[in-house]
Amino acid sequence: MRTEVHFRLNGQAVSAQVAPHESLVEMLQEQFGLYGARESCGQGMCGCCTVLLDGVAVPGCLTLAVLINKKEIVTVEGGQTLDPVQEAFIEAGAFQCGFCTPGFVLMTRQLLDEYPDPDEDQIRHYLSGNLCRCAAYPEIIEAVKLAARKRKA
Amino acid sequence: MKRASQPTETPQVGRSIPRLESWLKVTGRAEYVHNLRLPGMLYGKIFRSSISHGRIKRIDTAAARALAGVHSVVTAEEIKSIVPDPYYGPAFLDQPVLAVDKVRYVGEPVAVVLASDPHVAEEAVHLISAEYEELPAVYDEVEAMTSKAIVHDVLKPAGTYPDLKHLQGKKNTNLALDFRLRRGNPETALKSAHRVFEHRFRTQQVMHTPLEPLVTVVESTEDSLTIHTASQSPSFVRIEIARLLGWPENRIRVRVPFLGGGFGAKLYIKLEALVSVLALLTKKPVKISLTMEEQFFTITKHATTFRIKSGLDREGRIVARECEVWWNGGAYADIGPRITQKSGFTAPGPYDIEHVAIDSYALYTNLPPAGALRGFGVPQLVWAYESHTDMIARALGIDPVEFRRKNILREGRPQATGTKMKDAAIETVLDRLEVLLDWKKPFDRGGGTLKRGRGLAVGFKACISNTTSLAAVSVNADGSCTVYCSSVDMGQGSDTAMAQIAAEVLNLPAESVRVVHSDTDVTPYDMATLGSRSLFHMGNAVKLAAEDAAGQLRALKDELKLPADAPVPDIFRKKYGMRAGSVTGTASFNPSYTPPDANGLTENATPFWMVGGTGVEIEVDTETGRVRVARLINVADVGTPINPKIVETQLSGGSIMQLGFTLFEKLQFDAAGQLRNASLAEYRIPGFLDLPGEIINEAVSAEQRTGPFGAKGVGETATFGLSPAVANAIHDAVGVRLTELPMNPESVYMKMQNK
Amino acid sequence: MTPFELHQPGTVPEAIALLGEEGARPMSGGTALMLMMKAGVLRPSRLVSLNKLGLNEIQVGPGGELFVGSMVSLRTLEKSDIVRRGWPVIARTLRTLSNVQVRNVATVGGHLAHADPHMDLPPLLSALGARVTLEGPKGKRSVAVESIATGYLETSLARDELITQVQIPALGSKRAAYLKCTTRSADDWPAVGVAVVLEGERSTIFVSAATDKPTRIASVEAVDALPIESDLHGSAAYKKHLLKVYLKRAMNEARKPAD
Repeated sequence: MRTEVHFRLNGQAVSAQVAPHESLVEMLQEQFGLYGARESCGQGMCGCCTVLLDGVAVPGCLTLAVLINKKEIVTVEGGQTLDPVQEAFIEAGAFQCGFCTPGFVLMTRQLLDEYPDPDEDQIRHYLSGNLCRCAAYPEIIEAVKLAARKRKA
Repeated sequence: MKRASQPTETPQVGRSIPRLESWLKVTGRAEYVHNLRLPGMLYGKIFRSSISHGRIKRIDTAAARALAGVHSVVTAEEIKSIVPDPYYGPAFLDQPVLAVDKVRYVGEPVAVVLASDPHVAEEAVHLISAEYEELPAVYDEVEAMTSKAIVHDVLKPAGTYPDLKHLQGKKNTNLALDFRLRRGNPETALKSAHRVFEHRFRTQQVMHTPLEPLVTVVESTEDSLTIHTASQSPSFVRIEIARLLGWPENRIRVRVPFLGGGFGAKLYIKLEALVSVLALLTKKPVKISLTMEEQFFTITKHATTFRIKSGLDREGRIVARECEVWWNGGAYADIGPRITQKSGFTAPGPYDIEHVAIDSYALYTNLPPAGALRGFGVPQLVWAYESHTDMIARALGIDPVEFRRKNILREGRPQATGTKMKDAAIETVLDRLEVLLDWKKPFDRGGGTLKRGRGLAVGFKACISNTTSLAAVSVNADGSCTVYCSSVDMGQGSDTAMAQIAAEVLNLPAESVRVVHSDTDVTPYDMATLGSRSLFHMGNAVKLAAEDAAGQLRALKDELKLPADAPVPDIFRKKYGMRAGSVTGTASFNPSYTPPDANGLTENATPFWMVGGTGVEIEVDTETGRVRVARLINVADVGTPINPKIVETQLSGGSIMQLGFTLFEKLQFDAAGQLRNASLAEYRIPGFLDLPGEIINEAVSAEQRTGPFGAKGVGETATFGLSPAVANAIHDAVGVRLTELPMNPESVYMKMQNK
Repeated sequence: MTPFELHQPGTVPEAIALLGEEGARPMSGGTALMLMMKAGVLRPSRLVSLNKLGLNEIQVGPGGELFVGSMVSLRTLEKSDIVRRGWPVIARTLRTLSNVQVRNVATVGGHLAHADPHMDLPPLLSALGARVTLEGPKGKRSVAVESIATGYLETSLARDELITQVQIPALGSKRAAYLKCTTRSADDWPAVGVAVVLEGERSTIFVSAATDKPTRIASVEAVDALPIESDLHGSAAYKKHLLKVYLKRAMNEARKPAD
């Protein structure tokens, strides 16, 4: 039995019919063609499914779509141009296959919102829920530092 | 993002340009088969064997078929209606599309449920039941040599390989292949050696866990198939599916966008045969997208046992080495037999040894199949020979670097196969490791409960041979360039590298080059993207194809009596009277190769060597056995890098992946062959908190003279020496020698207690 | 996943009533629940979301005790100035509990009700003498955190009982530490966890992860008698050894001057 949910998606008011067991990632992919958030480990360990829900980063594959009524969803596709975080990731070469990258971009924005000038220890701990099998970790740390500098400027 | 497009004299190789696909990846818009949905598509969910070895007595699918929303349930019976002989593999045709008569490992696919809602398909899988007559099983590779538990009733090597013919029809054995190499007189040399050392080493089964799990989508018409698949080997997929169906190749189209990681998991046939048959049976598009858990039951890396014995003369020179390697191939051969041979011949290591014996065995066991994983068997070999080398050095009281220098293979000297070394900067790598590790300076080993140590290792790999890459390069009427090649970008930057090579030849900015992704209707044949071969083989093919295109443009200028520096658009305008036309250069690159003789010897074993050295400084918590890497140094011979930044990230990334295999990753089975940790929650891979304190990456100054602009591959190089370097450092720190991977805290701690 | 009905009641009595039915389960953050449902381990026919119940205040009581609403997220708890000032050991422990995305949605009540012995807060809160308020069809009752978990994923809670609040006594002169040891990746589920609270001469010790629930021990001598089994994290003998090492380390940590 499908329920209708009304919410804001990347700044726009939208609605969707969702089944009770449908995850946020499934809804975003099936009904909105947004594939930046992906289910990989399915267990909330890898961060590939990261989505912002009312400004807070959540594991999208463990979030039921029926519960997002009246909420604000932001995905990596939101935004018309590249932000300083995305630019920094490009300049620092902070990705390889790219499958984990949207999750890292969203979490880096969160990190810098909370800690505008993070040290390496803070970076590693804040992003520990994002895995990269290509192991671009050193470049990601550089990208976060670079993004912090860009945002300050 | 603005891209330069005007012709340029600036060199394009040796530039650290950002990857061409950067914008796509940081905005989440890169295309992966994981995302693909087609109208009317059915999802397939797999029902898998719950036992490790048995004959199938019954498969009960009635309840599953009756569940509302289920389209159909398929077993081997239906498969055979489309493919009467449903066995595939890149070396042996031993792997069934769905289990036929027998199951050979826990997790083997037995049936598939199809439904338009994947949740319904998943539910229905739980309603299938199967009955088996259990058979004795074998899990250990050495035991498999003599075990009465026989995994395959008869060996089935693919007929196309002359060197496997002798195995055809063999029964009562788990030995799929044995590779034998004899050079000089190792037996005699060992008997008369001044000192003899023999050790035994083991490595564990691990899994690649690419974050985009294996996935394939197939759509069919009455006489054609389009296979969208996350594969590193699109050409192979086309050839093999054509063979299975008895169709001409040109009726099968294989498309590969980006891969969300590969590392060797996405090779040869994984889901493609099954999904193709399902598409033909249902006449609808079909998608099978594995979960992370299911990957563990699909393809893994060989566990090994390696017995290595060396004879030394009084001067500390290795005069003879005997290598016996057992490779645990799991239930199906996949590419295991080739690992056994092609990596097997490097088992003695990068050392100048006159008398060599190698026996390298590919064994079947009742475990998930093993195949290619970054390094293609070389990390397992280096683990043994570089631990062994260090142990010998210390026993002889010779500095480990000095000992290696005394014995290292130099340019022009014969490797174990007899092939003379060419453009393999092994000594340079060793020299640089010594410098970067401050090896000659005293090292503080700490006091108290934290002990420090350092270690190093050098490994090498022969690029697999012989293989072929073809490429096409077009120059369009406006002067822009398009590259067509079937190399697959799985994060290693192949698109960018090919663009840089074509751009260098055609004097264009690399960012302006368009690289068309693998599409077998468009991009020509390539052996596969594996074994670090693409930069050398495809890079050379692209370079030659670009040169061919450039030559055609020059000929046009001559024909049209245009000056040598006439801009490209002018050429086409003059030729056709308007903006029209293009030229397409093509090339094929297939370096020479001489197959080994009956003794495994050949003077042309490989078109190029990879050389990777690792140095580490570590800390051991002696109360728990926990090892922390404080400094990690990766030194490699990659020839002359095309893109130095990407080279650096390949060294760094490869070493961190190998760190997981070294310290904690392991597939853990119970006594019945049941995998207990098939998920990222229980099979942990390196994260931010596992990183070494400092990582230094260096590509030594070197040139691969036969490579495109002096370059060669780097994807696997940093995996070679990591594990033994850490073991050597642990010995340096706390005086214990670990001979099995992974070196988790308990194993280090227990070794220290039993000293 | 099997089909289920989803309810989002606005009051605790409504939620309790909905939980009265067989096959009903409460859902707060939902991470652990979703995991188990996807794995087929749990197949509830009815999910009762607690997201609309409020229960998300953090306050200090008249006696200096900490009151935490059961729906407070772990991340909110971690960042709370009240918690950082008055109970820094809790904020420190939360820093390496799972990851930020999970802490953003997981709740204190859900964490305690899940009863996975590898979790970090239950042994620490038990050692701190924390209590919870439970509400059920028969009214409210108060129990010590240490009595919630009765076994692996098993609790003493009735199906239709909800944790509504957690109370943690003021630290006062107490010194506390929680340490854990992982044996695979650094941020793995721990092989052993040790919580130590020192008050004058008295020490309260709870061990976890290697045991199937947080377990109070009097001293290091009790470790060998604990019912510990070998598993993917290590052999029983090794885990006992780790417990002894980490007990000593946690004591030293607790004795360090307060920050």
